[in-house]
Amino acid sequence: MLLFRSEETVRAWCQANGIPVRPLVNLEQLWHLAVTWYGNRLTAESRRPSADEMAGIFAGIGLEAPFWDPQADVWNTGAL
Amino acid sequence: MDFDTTVKLNIYATIAEQARVPGAVGVAQALDAPLEEVLAAFERLHQVRLLVPEPGDPLHIRMAPPFSGVKTPFPVRVGGKLYYANCVWDALGIPAALRADALVESSDGFSEEPLFLEVRDGQPVPQDCVIHFAVPAARWWQDIIYT
Repeated sequence: MLLFRSEETVRAWCQANGIPVRPLVNLEQLWHLAVTWYGNRLTAESRRPSADEMAGIFAGIGLEAPFWDPQADVWNTGAL
Repeated sequence: MDFDTTVKLNIYATIAEQARVPGAVGVAQALDAPLEEVLAAFERLHQVRLLVPEPGDPLHIRMAPPFSGVKTPFPVRVGGKLYYANCVWDALGIPAALRADALVESSDGFSEEPLFLEVRDGQPVPQDCVIHFAVPAARWWQDIIYT
């Protein structure tokens, strides 16, 4: 997963690498994921979220397409 | 506390304090434990996706997410220390894990123009940027180093 200045450079990178343009994430959404995944990583209790927990975390910040389903076998390419 | 948790905490404490990812030999020495037991713990921690051994070299750790055992395009400055993250998600994961302000000295994935992210007082400072996930969630761990 990579960082880009704009949707324009995302498109350019995808074209250059022959990769479909996927749904985009904004900085606030990414911060939420970072805190949820890693906020207690230095503690004894830390663990990676289960697949069901992951789906709920993604849905909670508006990431609900099959692309975000950790158990899906089909994915939307999304559209910018 | 079980042995795997002890190993995990030693790995992360070493990273947080020294800004370097330890290897199995260092963890075994620090815990005064047999190397074979530490390697077995590494494998179990890998199975629950809390670390990734270096491919072909189980003595070394490639990833202890969000930290990277090798230099990456996602250097993260926290205080006077320099860490490396595995991806942009993990770059924000480092200040989240350390609960500290941070500066991610990254760049645009296509143009390579410098593109820094700052976390201050527990929040990212607004920045014009977007994040692109090339791999669907269900496939992230099929090749986590690429992801």
